[in-house]
Amino acid sequence: MRISRRLVLGAVAAAALATTSITAFAGELPKNVRMVIGSKSTGGDTYQNSAIIADALAEKLGINIKVDAVGSTEGFKALKRDKRGSTIMMFHDQAYLGELYGRKGYDDPFTTYKIGAAVAINPGNSYLVAKDSKYKNMTEIFAAAAAGEKIRVAIQPGGVSEIGFSAMKNAAKVLSPGSEVNLVAVKTGSQSDKNQAMFDDLADVINGSIQANEQFTQLPADDQKAMRFVWVTARAETLDQAPAKGMGDTTRDQLLAYANPKTSVPLTKSENFTFDKEFFLLYNKDMDEGMVKQIDTALAEIFAEGKIQERQKGSFFIPNFLPSDEASVYYMGKRDIYRKIIQDITK
Amino acid sequence: MELFEFLTPLFVLLVMGGTFVGIIFGAIPGLTATMAVAVCLPLTYPLGLENGLALLLGLYVGGISGGLVPAVLLNIPGTPSSITTTFDGYPMSQRGEGERALKIGIFSSLVGGIISLIALYFFAPALADFAIRFSYVEKFLIIIFALSVMAALSTDLLIGIFSGFLGIFISLIDTYDVEYGGNGNTRLMPESLEYWLEGGFSLLPVLIGIFGLAAILHEAEAGVPKGMSMKDLKVSSKNKFSFSIFKDQIVNLVRSSGIGTFVGILPGVGGSAASILSYTYAKTFSKNPENFGKGEPAGIIASESGNNGLTGGALVPLLSLGIPGDSTTALLIGAFTLQGVQVGPLFIGNNPMTWNAMIVAMIIANFAMFFMMFYAIRYIVMIITVPKHILFPIILMMCVVGAYTINYGIIFDVWTLLIFGIFGWLAKHLSLEIAPFIIGFILGHSSEIYFVKSLESFEDLSIFFTKSWIAVVLWVLIIGSIGFSVLLSRKKQDNTANEVAD
Repeated sequence: MRISRRLVLGAVAAAALATTSITAFAGELPKNVRMVIGSKSTGGDTYQNSAIIADALAEKLGINIKVDAVGSTEGFKALKRDKRGSTIMMFHDQAYLGELYGRKGYDDPFTTYKIGAAVAINPGNSYLVAKDSKYKNMTEIFAAAAAGEKIRVAIQPGGVSEIGFSAMKNAAKVLSPGSEVNLVAVKTGSQSDKNQAMFDDLADVINGSIQANEQFTQLPADDQKAMRFVWVTARAETLDQAPAKGMGDTTRDQLLAYANPKTSVPLTKSENFTFDKEFFLLYNKDMDEGMVKQIDTALAEIFAEGKIQERQKGSFFIPNFLPSDEASVYYMGKRDIYRKIIQDITK
Repeated sequence: MELFEFLTPLFVLLVMGGTFVGIIFGAIPGLTATMAVAVCLPLTYPLGLENGLALLLGLYVGGISGGLVPAVLLNIPGTPSSITTTFDGYPMSQRGEGERALKIGIFSSLVGGIISLIALYFFAPALADFAIRFSYVEKFLIIIFALSVMAALSTDLLIGIFSGFLGIFISLIDTYDVEYGGNGNTRLMPESLEYWLEGGFSLLPVLIGIFGLAAILHEAEAGVPKGMSMKDLKVSSKNKFSFSIFKDQIVNLVRSSGIGTFVGILPGVGGSAASILSYTYAKTFSKNPENFGKGEPAGIIASESGNNGLTGGALVPLLSLGIPGDSTTALLIGAFTLQGVQVGPLFIGNNPMTWNAMIVAMIIANFAMFFMMFYAIRYIVMIITVPKHILFPIILMMCVVGAYTINYGIIFDVWTLLIFGIFGWLAKHLSLEIAPFIIGFILGHSSEIYFVKSLESFEDLSIFFTKSWIAVVLWVLIIGSIGFSVLLSRKKQDNTANEVAD
């Protein structure tokens, strides 16, 4: 047989293809994995959490994982395209809230993708007022709304930032039906826009986070930038797991005063609203089950070793591992609860 | 002593290595400072905060400065903030004054970087307090002021303004997000293209398409071009670089550095606006405004001191408010979050060592940039002696790589590069003006956001005139800039008429 250059090239190509197929059949992740995230920022909690998980997973599995801050739209597109397991996604509750609020680019994540393991909770979602504001807490805010005062709340519409505002409207309706119209959304974008809305006196209350806004709460009252927490949406049980020293100069106990049950935002007459921002993985619908199991097993071992929890807590995340099948059931239930809340408010 | 805790040989090595790699990223068309920081960000966690920042700040300063090399030698801005450097840098290069133009740019970059660093070190909290007085209204007026340069940069006033508006129009092709006052739907595109265009055209692929690819297409159309010979590069005593050129330019240098710093301080205005505004000012106050765009050193001084002034300025809101001032510092904040360090109004007071480390890293990076580039220039300038049939395919490849990687691997960005490359080539044949077009494209989107948000927030058109004294000052500048452009255009017409009559 004459060995031509074409034959050699063909043999090499076939071998490469066969190797790839073997990897896929074996149900193992490829050597290079891209973890897209639903945020374009590398300064936010999504990137921070993803970097922690990617580092640990890459080390455990002996593969390369690169976190790409592409944002939700491009992240979902990349995930839909790739069923080989070389693209996975890290996101949080926004994945289903985006769909519930009807945002473009969001599909039902439970039918469009495969829900992967849960990894962490950020207990930081919160609401703040200016330090010299006449409203000192949520009770005063609801009382003012009931008295007919307009309360302007700066949020980023269509997701995690809006869910707390929806809950506030719902609470106003529960406490004093009709007063919910006095809670008005000021639609803004990033955290800096929300802060600026407060500095410009365009908003009475802003959505923020413990991590991004805590330092502003330490400023003296005569500083234009000084703020005060009025509500932390996380469950008390979640916050309880945060380090006792809390964040910056605010201790965990001080933070607990802004969370349920000490700060009450009623969901019904007998129950308060809470919201934990939870991070989980998403996969292509047709990604090999073997790869899902491989990630689940690796994460279970990583969390069992206990080192990752230190790094997560150091960045004010609450470790929260759930394997993919449990996570899927859990988030579907959580989605249903918030769907009802959103529907009730918009009725 | 506290200083020596972070000032280790590794720290210095990381700053200098970062600066070197940054210059290379900046100098290669298609690759940017932002990309350099993005690539190296994950490396910073094991390095620790101070050492990690040393690397990233070196990349930042090097990347911003390196952008002037292709701007001057190839008429392709290495980074978006060096667009205005091409206006005068390339004509100088064509006259055989490439080395001189580069040296002017490098020294201006150093001055811009150092002035902004002084502002950062001594006035960061005060400047941040001033920055938050700029609401949507003032930011809109700043953008309008920067847009007013479109007229000044036009060869033909009417066509220039038309080109600028075309740029604004194209910048609006995207999803009109609810947070910007929109309805959350796509606009200005057929339904079939929604999948590709819902995020709009990205700036960098548009830029390298219009400047890089279009330049290659023009050269290809002109025939098989040669590179310049070494003889062309020979420096005569007439066009030799001398520091005396800065004698009459001290005001320009300081003013442009100040503008760059100031624009950096304002989050959301965008890095490219720094050099555009500095250039506008320099032209407006120049004794020879008609020389701008034809190889006027003052134009390079304004542009380069302006864009390096941005480096210190953009760190002001980052370190005083926790808000990044430009796209690169938006990535830089990741170094803090990866280490779990809060950045906000108390950062400087709570982290004196990190703060000092950042300042020292920036000083080292600026001087390292100066010495690396200043003394390597005679070798860098040889790029233009490389035969074009070898140089252009390499540039094209780097442009494609850059376009593909800027948003972490989106193939439509490569198509954008191609579309705008062809558009840039066609535009020249249709006599459209590229400079106003690109300025309109860069600033169009922000102008819309701030205009709509101003109206939404204050519900009154008169707010643009009555919001604050800052708004009044900005109006004076806008009217001055437009009036000056009209006068310049008239003068040009009169000169042409006189020449025809003669």
